[in-house]
Amino acid sequence: MSTEPRKEALRFFFARIVGPLGYKFTPDAEMMDFLLEQEVILEGKHGIPFCPCQPLRHDPARDMQIVCPCIPFHRKHFDALKRCWCGLYVHKDVTDPNALPQLPPWEVGLD
Amino acid sequence: MKTVTMYALSTCPWCRKIKDLLTEHGVPFDFIDYDLADEATQKRIMEELDREGTSLFPFVRIDGIPVTGYQPDRILELLGL
Repeated sequence: MSTEPRKEALRFFFARIVGPLGYKFTPDAEMMDFLLEQEVILEGKHGIPFCPCQPLRHDPARDMQIVCPCIPFHRKHFDALKRCWCGLYVHKDVTDPNALPQLPPWEVGLD
Repeated sequence: MKTVTMYALSTCPWCRKIKDLLTEHGVPFDFIDYDLADEATQKRIMEELDREGTSLFPFVRIDGIPVTGYQPDRILELLGL
């Protein structure tokens, strides 16, 4: 079964959530498509579109923090990176997402 | 030859990029896709990552030195490449 309709639905809903947070989808169309595809697969497996780049711990309280878009749970970290961890979202002023490093919090001066 | 191990997620493109990077440079490495591993292995990996203070992937260890995230320059530097 095609994942395209669900990917499009997630794009529609997520855009309305991340926009007011100051984020947009990555301009890297290939990366965006791949990540949304993974989220549709994860949603099919677990019932929830989790972040493709963070591990499920099978602890509901912790796993809730990696439900896409997980920006509110990691705001300081992602604001410092100008992207979310998986790179599906970037700050609205970002034009070259590939120039943004993927660094852990302690390497950008956070706990 | 340096010992390179990696914890990855099969759904993570940055994990794939590191695997590609190591392969392109002919660096042998061991890896486990956390999401495809059995429950006991997942538990062991998380305990190890908790000790490192992280739960982010990709997680690479080069001769014991941990690198979290997609950091190709740092990885090549640690490998002396």
